[in-house]
Amino acid sequence: MRNKQLYLTVCMVFLFPAFMFGGTISGTTTYRETDTPMKQKVIDMSKEPTCAKQHTTPVMTETVVTGPNFALANVVVYVSAGAPDEGAVPTQAVSYEQKGCQYIPHVLVMHVSQPIKITNADQTSHNIHPMPKVNAEWNKSQPIGAPPIDAKFDKEEFIPVKCNIHPWMHGYFVVLKTSHYAVSKDDGSFSLPDLPPGNYTITAWHEKYGKLTQELTITGNESKSIKFAFKATQY
Amino acid sequence: MRINHKIMFISMIVLSLGSGYAWAQNSGIASGYPTPNDGLNPSAQKGHGIYLRYCYGCHGLQGNGNGENAQWLDPKPRDFTTGAFKCRSTPTGTLPVDSDLIHTLERGVWTSGMPSWRPLSGQNRQDLVAYIKTFSPRWQTEQPGEPITIPPETEVTMDSITHGHQIFEKLECWKCHGMEGRGDGPSADTLTDSKEQPIRPYNFADATNSSRFKCGETNEDVYRIFMTGLDGTPMPSFADQLQPNDAWDLVHFLRTLQVHRRSKENDVLKAAGGKIPATPASSALLPSALPSHSEALESGNQESRRQ
Amino acid sequence: MRMYLNRFSITTYFQSGVAFAVACLLLILASSSPSYAIPAFARKYTLPCSACHEAWPKLNSFGQNFKDNGYQLMNDRDSPVYIHPSYWPVAMRTTPHWHFESNGNVSVDSGDTSVEQTINTSGFDLGGIDILAAGTLSKNISFLLVTSIDSGDGTVGFEAGNVRFSNIKDSPWFNIKFGKAELDLPLSEKRGMTLSNNGGELQLYHFLPVGDVTATNPADNQLGVEFMGHSFDDRTRYALSVVSSDGGNVGLPAGRTYDVYGHFSHGFASGNNLQRLGAYVYYGMQPTFFLTSGGEDIPGTGSGNKSFYRVGFYGSIYMGAFDVTGVYQHASDNVFLGTETAADGTPLPEGAKDPAWNIVTVEAHYTYTPRVFFLGRYEFVRMSQQAFAEYPSDLGNVDVFTIGCRFYPFINSRAGLAWHTEFSSARSRLTSDTGQDQRNNSLFTGLDFAF
Repeated sequence: MRNKQLYLTVCMVFLFPAFMFGGTISGTTTYRETDTPMKQKVIDMSKEPTCAKQHTTPVMTETVVTGPNFALANVVVYVSAGAPDEGAVPTQAVSYEQKGCQYIPHVLVMHVSQPIKITNADQTSHNIHPMPKVNAEWNKSQPIGAPPIDAKFDKEEFIPVKCNIHPWMHGYFVVLKTSHYAVSKDDGSFSLPDLPPGNYTITAWHEKYGKLTQELTITGNESKSIKFAFKATQY
Repeated sequence: MRINHKIMFISMIVLSLGSGYAWAQNSGIASGYPTPNDGLNPSAQKGHGIYLRYCYGCHGLQGNGNGENAQWLDPKPRDFTTGAFKCRSTPTGTLPVDSDLIHTLERGVWTSGMPSWRPLSGQNRQDLVAYIKTFSPRWQTEQPGEPITIPPETEVTMDSITHGHQIFEKLECWKCHGMEGRGDGPSADTLTDSKEQPIRPYNFADATNSSRFKCGETNEDVYRIFMTGLDGTPMPSFADQLQPNDAWDLVHFLRTLQVHRRSKENDVLKAAGGKIPATPASSALLPSALPSHSEALESGNQESRRQ
Repeated sequence: MRMYLNRFSITTYFQSGVAFAVACLLLILASSSPSYAIPAFARKYTLPCSACHEAWPKLNSFGQNFKDNGYQLMNDRDSPVYIHPSYWPVAMRTTPHWHFESNGNVSVDSGDTSVEQTINTSGFDLGGIDILAAGTLSKNISFLLVTSIDSGDGTVGFEAGNVRFSNIKDSPWFNIKFGKAELDLPLSEKRGMTLSNNGGELQLYHFLPVGDVTATNPADNQLGVEFMGHSFDDRTRYALSVVSSDGGNVGLPAGRTYDVYGHFSHGFASGNNLQRLGAYVYYGMQPTFFLTSGGEDIPGTGSGNKSFYRVGFYGSIYMGAFDVTGVYQHASDNVFLGTETAADGTPLPEGAKDPAWNIVTVEAHYTYTPRVFFLGRYEFVRMSQQAFAEYPSDLGNVDVFTIGCRFYPFINSRAGLAWHTEFSSARSRLTSDTGQDQRNNSLFTGLDFAF
């Protein structure tokens, strides 16, 4: 009897954190096995030698980034409905770097009104030109050695970003009303931890292949697994 | 009974005068269409009627730049639904103030299909601006930006032009505009605007644009163009990079790229032999380090303001 | 009252007037939201007709400025090199219609004598066909070429053919037009809003006293050179024309004299409206005899030139959709022209004097929308001095009253169509063969279209 009590106490001690911090939704984002995804092209950076020489291997476009087992990377998976805690604006800035004439990360996710810090690590000037439809469009130059640019967006939107000087540079600012988001990695995996109990609609967005949604319920601190399989096209 | 033609005619005139005056509350010069109230304020309602007469063919009935003629136009007509305008006095990403829109209506947009609407009355233009502001929801939620402060122009000297040339090189304007400002820089061929339409950078040496810019023709207009950027186009704002004196130096240098324009700057350049040296003669104007972000803010080049 | 001997009494006129007023009202109610007149301009600049015209062809202030700039928007893209080479600056206009004409107190043979009676006729008809080519030859050099084809005999006349140098020395005050062109008139007949037999022509320009042979009238396009200028906002305008005294006829048929025309006006904005005041004068010469060869006049040898003039002032008032223009003109022709006497020593009739007259023309418009337009005009001409001593003092006095409406089913940037309906009634005093008043009426309805 004492052993049982000890066993239960030990379990509670170890499980308590999980009980406190809520459930987890994780999984993979893929494309359908029968589909052929869009081929990525080699980027010709010869017009910008200061960037070209930073790359030892060919640089590919990042519109559709795939991985093993039909994995689809750079998919933003987020809670589009059901989360009780949308309002808190994080004060920590997210950073967006221009390096080697590429945007790092390719898809930057942030909360509405969360600050962004944009830096230029290259020996060439860039201009940062987000092209939103709902938020305000702006366009700023960031020459060599210029200080970081601070920005934020106040409305939820998926915003393409480009550099006009270097036409191959494309990225995305994804502005969400929720802090429960993740970007799938090269193997397609993502994880949304710390979800309180509730009925959730989870949306997965890919810049080329659109949106998929699924609904599920978290009752306690369980882990649930979902998969998103996008219809992929070649063009 | 004989009906006197004169009396009949004069009474018809009076009748039309009376009803004409009553209708005049709803129409403008060369009258616009009578338009329903639609929840618009009276000025915007009149502007709606005027818009239908003059503007819808290019800008479209929804104000999205998709009028029946838009498919044949290059550059495309302005899409009012985004709230982004090229010719502003306010920082990039902010809404223009009313006077910016009125000036665009008065001036037109040179080398585009947008004519000067100067023959309309001042009241017409105000009514049109009030109506244009109904196309984008941003006008409900945002205040227009604070117009940038343009300090008095500095003197046109060879040093100023030389320094401007250095800035032109350091900020890499030539990547789009080319070293002679002919719009033939390495990135020029691939430029697209925010609607993914091909667009060319301004060619300073082109005689056919009468050395005018889309957003004006004075030195102040040039200052404003690169300090606020042309939203909707690849032309960014350099407000964070330039102190006012540097900005005037850049203006003076840019004027020398306009080889077909008679200007003080071209006269000064010609008097100095026609060639711009690598560094200014005066040591006081050695190339300045790019200001830190906080310095740029303090000097009055303002951060865009969003609420 | 037995004033009207014709079948159509005034009550019927009134009824027909009311009938088409009702028709016009029905058209207003039937008009829907807009879909989306030289149409060649609309095609070039992708503007709808309503941008330049209050209701085409009547120009609004924007269109007048476009014309005064030499058919240019002044956007550095006016030169034809910026247009696709397949664009041709050509437009055409014509008006098939139905009309009813009633001419009173016309002398008609009756056995050995003649009686006066009213002649009525009606039917479907076709107006002349205008082919217009207009635009820029290059920056600040524009042209206009108008050929009109007479729908009756198919003859082609050249109504206009001119080149204009605009904004000389980059100033809107200096423009020169050379060739055959319309004078810068206060009320344009070429862009007039009336088409009927009686209403289509303005007495202001066309009226001549009985027996007067002055051939030139300011409404006809004249051959010459025009100096024109305007302020940057087109509020102040002047024009000065020197034209050959041929009345616009080619081939130098008359003499070697020149006529002069001047016009000055100033417009001022009050709120949304533009009011305009102006004055004009036409001073011309006309030969009274020619050298002959074998009894035939030799063209171009016009001699015994005598003068004539028209001088007037006007005001245009706009109140929203409603506008009214009033013109007062005093005119006089030389007694030799007024009595058709050759000034080669031939004596004048006894007591002959220079005929002189005053005209008041009031024209009012109601532009409900660019697609619904109403017009009313009243002109009265009063002779102040007859040429012949024996003429009654009011011989030839004319009163014309015209009402009309135009309904445009669409306004777009390619073509135009208007359903034009008009009624016009003219009465001239004592002009019948037996000295009776003559009343002529026109009722017109037709489709005025342009592409």
